[in-house]
Amino acid sequence: MKNFCLAIAAVFLSILPLAAQDNVAVLKGKVIDSADGYPLIGVSVMVEGTKFGTVTDVDGLYELRIPDQKCEVTFSYVGYDDEIRIYNLKNASSFAKIVMYMNTTQLADVVVTGVYERKKESFTGASATFKTDQLKAVGSNNVLQSLKTLDPSFKMMENSQFGSNPNMMPDVEIRGKTSVVGLKEEYGTDPNQPLFILDGFETTIETIMNLNMNRVASVTILKDAASTAIYGSKASNGVVVIETKAPARGRLQLSYKGDYGLSLADLSDYNLMNAREKLEFETLAGVYKDNTGDPFAQIRLDNLRNERLKEIERGVDTYWLSEPIRPGITHKHNIYAEGGEDKIRYGIGVSYGNVDGVMKDSDRQTLEGNVDLIYRTGKFQFSNKLSLNWLDVTNPTVSFAEYAYANPYYRKRNADGGVDRYLYYPEEGVDDYPVANPLWNAHLNNWDRASGFGFTNNFIFEWFVTQDLRLRAKFGLTKQDDDEQMRLSPLHTQFDDAGETEKGLYSHTQIKELIYEGDASVTFGKLFAKKHLVNAVGGFNFSSNRRQIYGYSATGFTDDHFDAPSFANGYPSGGSPDYSESLKRAASFYINGGYSYSERYLLDFNYRLDGASMFGTGNRFRNTWSVGTGWNIHKEAFMKDSDFFSLLKLRGSVGNPGNQNFSAYQAFSTYKFNGWMTNVFGTGVILNALGNTELAWQETTNYDVGADMIFWGERINLTFDYYWKHTDPLLAVITTPGSMGVTSVAMNAGSQKTRGWEATFRISPVYRPSEGIMWNISLNATSSRSVYADIGNSFSALNESGKASLAGTTRYYDGGSPTAIWAVRSAGIDPATGKELFIKKDGTYSFTYDVNDEVVVGDMQPKVEGLMGTTLYYKGFSVGCYLRYRWGGQTFNSSLFQKVENIGTQEVYNNQDKRALYDRWSETNREAYFKGISLVQRTEKSSRFVMDDNSLVGESFNIGYEFPDRIARRMRLGAMNLQLTMTDVFRATSVRVERGIDYPFARTVTMSLGITF
Amino acid sequence: MALVSLLAVSACDAWLDVKPYDKMSQDELLSTEDGFMKLLNGIYIELNSDMLYGGALSVEMVEIMGGAYTIGTDNTVWGNYADLAEYEYGTDYWRARFSETWNKAYSLILNCNLLLENLQEPQVRFTGENYKIIKGEALALRAMLHFDMLRLFGPVYSRNPDMPAIPYYKRYSVVPNDILPASEVASEILHDLQEARILLANDPVRTSGTMTSAPSDGSSSFMYYRNLRLNYYAVTALLARCGLYFGDKDAAYDYAVEVIEAAGSGIFPFVDKSLVTGSPDDPDRIFSSEIIFALTHSQRNKLFKNYYDPSRIPNYVFRMDNDLMSDLIFGGGALTGGNQDDYRYRVNWVATGANRYFYKYSDMADPGSIVNTMIPMIRLGEMYLIVAESRSEDIGAGVVYVNRLRANRGVSALQTLTARTLQYEYIRELYGEGQLFFMYKRMFTPILFTSADSRNPRPSDAVFVVPLPTSETDN
Repeated sequence: MKNFCLAIAAVFLSILPLAAQDNVAVLKGKVIDSADGYPLIGVSVMVEGTKFGTVTDVDGLYELRIPDQKCEVTFSYVGYDDEIRIYNLKNASSFAKIVMYMNTTQLADVVVTGVYERKKESFTGASATFKTDQLKAVGSNNVLQSLKTLDPSFKMMENSQFGSNPNMMPDVEIRGKTSVVGLKEEYGTDPNQPLFILDGFETTIETIMNLNMNRVASVTILKDAASTAIYGSKASNGVVVIETKAPARGRLQLSYKGDYGLSLADLSDYNLMNAREKLEFETLAGVYKDNTGDPFAQIRLDNLRNERLKEIERGVDTYWLSEPIRPGITHKHNIYAEGGEDKIRYGIGVSYGNVDGVMKDSDRQTLEGNVDLIYRTGKFQFSNKLSLNWLDVTNPTVSFAEYAYANPYYRKRNADGGVDRYLYYPEEGVDDYPVANPLWNAHLNNWDRASGFGFTNNFIFEWFVTQDLRLRAKFGLTKQDDDEQMRLSPLHTQFDDAGETEKGLYSHTQIKELIYEGDASVTFGKLFAKKHLVNAVGGFNFSSNRRQIYGYSATGFTDDHFDAPSFANGYPSGGSPDYSESLKRAASFYINGGYSYSERYLLDFNYRLDGASMFGTGNRFRNTWSVGTGWNIHKEAFMKDSDFFSLLKLRGSVGNPGNQNFSAYQAFSTYKFNGWMTNVFGTGVILNALGNTELAWQETTNYDVGADMIFWGERINLTFDYYWKHTDPLLAVITTPGSMGVTSVAMNAGSQKTRGWEATFRISPVYRPSEGIMWNISLNATSSRSVYADIGNSFSALNESGKASLAGTTRYYDGGSPTAIWAVRSAGIDPATGKELFIKKDGTYSFTYDVNDEVVVGDMQPKVEGLMGTTLYYKGFSVGCYLRYRWGGQTFNSSLFQKVENIGTQEVYNNQDKRALYDRWSETNREAYFKGISLVQRTEKSSRFVMDDNSLVGESFNIGYEFPDRIARRMRLGAMNLQLTMTDVFRATSVRVERGIDYPFARTVTMSLGITF
Repeated sequence: MALVSLLAVSACDAWLDVKPYDKMSQDELLSTEDGFMKLLNGIYIELNSDMLYGGALSVEMVEIMGGAYTIGTDNTVWGNYADLAEYEYGTDYWRARFSETWNKAYSLILNCNLLLENLQEPQVRFTGENYKIIKGEALALRAMLHFDMLRLFGPVYSRNPDMPAIPYYKRYSVVPNDILPASEVASEILHDLQEARILLANDPVRTSGTMTSAPSDGSSSFMYYRNLRLNYYAVTALLARCGLYFGDKDAAYDYAVEVIEAAGSGIFPFVDKSLVTGSPDDPDRIFSSEIIFALTHSQRNKLFKNYYDPSRIPNYVFRMDNDLMSDLIFGGGALTGGNQDDYRYRVNWVATGANRYFYKYSDMADPGSIVNTMIPMIRLGEMYLIVAESRSEDIGAGVVYVNRLRANRGVSALQTLTARTLQYEYIRELYGEGQLFFMYKRMFTPILFTSADSRNPRPSDAVFVVPLPTSETDN
């Protein structure tokens, strides 16, 4: 609030009738900045309680004529603490030089919502703000990675399929999911993704992932209705607000920040058989036993087995997993030059990053240039941020899984050291499948690449009309072009059966995106009668996002080496060019108001009216509101005497933010040509997609109560929030009776209720900030539970298909949790028969599996999870350590289910989990946990595979050193710091499941260097 | 402030009204008369889908159920057809096939409903009769599709008219409609057809006939080729077919007579003998002039190639049981009315080796002929048979009408008509057009796969009532 009420600088009051006064004194002097001694221009100089005042000129000089009597003179300037001097008729000379200090606490104590800023103390919403140092301390990968370590409510879903693939965008969510069934599958957008705001403009998760962390000034997570409702119908998943650094004033300053990292694949979750074990397993499974009764077949199988055994005796035990991986080297650099004087400030930066993934042929290169300009004159400020980005990525064409499947008794290379196409090829006349060599496909000229180029220009104009009133207009434009190309060689085993002119594949996809957003707002803030602080923001916002996708494929390559699309023979048969386009537009009005009474009683409200093109004509506008209240107990009279609490605030809020992460044309019925036939009447058209005009947009009523405390001389910091969210109606894609004319439709169906809490606790047993010595211990925790309500039978088709599927354990019932694991209870393997004994719904035992006996046997959502951390600062040194814990959840162990049991006649030729061989039931091992080895027996989903999933992960360790000034100066540098960060150092879990199926996970160590010249 | 906002809001409304570019939005499509015509034509085109009258409901699935073909037992040749000939509707394959047909039919019903709903308050001015023609045809299409779903999935109407049957969709809805009793579905069908008939009262077919060539001046052919559209007489003929199926013989008689009279006036003339026996090498096998309504399928020859062509051997080929053909349908003399002089035999059944194969869907020599695209949906011959059956409660009284038809088929008159000989006539006339199963279902009689009654399936609900798709019962 300070920046509105106190720091609005240019007030034109110098032309005042002083002639009427008898005795006039003149105060003269220069106002300078404490940091660099530069003159400050436009500082307002006012005599308290009068209308006398002036502003400083371009040299920071002022001259103020005042009545010759005792008075208080206030110097105020944006971003600086007020300077108050008392004039006592004699001390005019002390006004010659006024030094003003930058308001250093500004960032930490202010909540930046992207639309307005509020002092944290007077804000009623639930939010968390992190500065660049904090983010950098826990990791240097990207902003989101660091946020997940710092705030328990911010979650990045572990992607067990794609592991540490640097080119995979993560699924992130704040305070859990608000929806939705089947939508991501349908539309490809994640309906639970929060809204990202970069420097006041909406942006994409890709931009945030690519953003060089060294450019970031602060990140604010807005969690509850009171803080997010200003974003209306886009806000129900929470908002992440990122501000990049603004150029600092002063002589030209150059800084360099670099990160150099090494990643190693983490294969500890793989538990594959060695050659001898695999052969034994195959033998036990009956692979080498002939069933046809043909004696020659049995001889062939015996020979095959002996051959493999011989190879094993010769020492063949191939470790295939090492083949596609490599140490991944990462280096990122950022150079930034900034400077300027009071009127103009500038910053020019270049960032380059190259991340080599832990799989070969997997990397991500980014190059980013940015120019920041701020021009300030009198009451006006113009700022412009321009950034250009270039991206180049490569993905491996052979997935990691193919190496994990390869059997260890095969050699990688033939006797000549070359790579064979097949590891095993059946002799003529033998009914058997050939086994492809993953190295064959990997050594071919296949590739999967993408590149992109884009620019963003954000322009902001501000007019400080009076001390209390500010007008702001902004406009942002983003253009992004991406280009994806994929090529498979004609020698790829995928084309073994294809015709000579249909081998090889090339595909090209081009994505063009144009986004613009404009906003105009009025901000008002004033303290009335020293008690009533009133803040208000009102504005108008519009945005447009057009995305076009072009694509085509070509086939019929004849040569591995010549891979240009011009060598293709033609298009795939029946293939047609792809084109799709989506255009989303939105226009909104918003208003936010805040009132605080003597800093004790706080009240905030928000209202936003959103119109969006994807809402049907009948439902085009949507209202969002929120109300928040707070009570600063530490400001009460009865607490005044004690300085134990420096902050003790209770707050509560309610509101109804919505969700817009849906398809652009959901409400429209669209038609297509029936291209397969025309007739004498010409062409015909037919329904393509049925729009649901009656669709009500998803909206989440969000309640939050919380407390913030800082006490014991600022040594203990505690925040607690309890929240309750009710998403009603849910939007889901539901399978419908065929008689409706469509087989699935986006519908409103039922609701979801979520309750949860989150707490962060930080204590500083040693707290001597003035000496630079500090030890912090932090613990944060979060827990939530969701249930479905009023969904009735809407999802019966999903339930049925889940029941029928091999490993689907999610069900949709009223009162059920979205994360519950449904399966039939198991009493284990009967020692006598080796069969699985099931527990029926009524508690009786049965050998027969009946899917209707399914009950909830676990929940994937842990009871509590969070992070424990400690940091130690000693002079320039710092050490930090963060552990992630997760307790009280379960998981359905798919590795046991599919790589130990349920190994069928196809899967037996893949390498499998070691446990498939051991602890199996047999006549001699009756007390086994797993059924006997069999290729035909199907294992059903039962509680036998549901395991407690508790874990402790060494998420981030770091050591840093800030070189003292004298050393830095001796090296002719302004400042220098060094930091070493290790991420995902260790992982202790109660359950062993293969993770990183297509791409392994990685452990990373990074060294970061920061130098200011 | 609020007022200003509201004013500004309505200003943005136009800006927010975004039309998809890569797809046709409904507003854009149906902003012209031409858009409505295209949508209507799109529905006609989709009727040619394999799941509907381009296969399952004409020559394939429903015709097997109607006993038209002799189905072998060798699984490698006949695949799933053996199950269908045994009326095993519950196999995964046939459940999926019936469900496909059902979904496709109802998706076209949805298209009709979207068209009709947009016709309620059209944003366009229609020229001449176009509005009424479009609306009438769309209503008739909706009724026809419902009628065939009712005949396939509904109860045996003559016995259980009040059993639950199928839902009737009269408007686009995202809430499933209830499954109605067959009798209620029937009255909805009749209601739609009658309304369509009124709307089509000025159909040019009544004055100018079927007009089976494009206008010479190159203008729109929308009002031409009326036999490829659900024209006034097609709707009347459908009403006759429905009347008989729903047991209202008086109505059936009246409607059928109206069509016969119109035909007599030259609108649907009996096939010219010269085109049949006069050109044995290139006959008009479908008797195209008699067709009241046909689909037009640009690759109709697939029907012949995929199912009937003897060169398919050793793969399956659909043909009539030899004994059935020689003993009853095209043999048996005066007792059965079967005779090898029958045009329908001479033109459509061609010998290859010891068997005769069905050539109705084999192309005529002129490759551009519209006849080569036609899949008959309803024809004049059926009107004579309907009149014969509905003349009075005594089928025998209808013999004169059957004989009038037979006279145009080059065969002698029947002395007497029984339900059985009437069925033979149906088989001769409508073979390969997807109507036989519904005839047996209507009459609740054994299905004539062969000439030996002991080997023919007895009438029962298990044979005649196809279970509703699971998507219908579960959701």
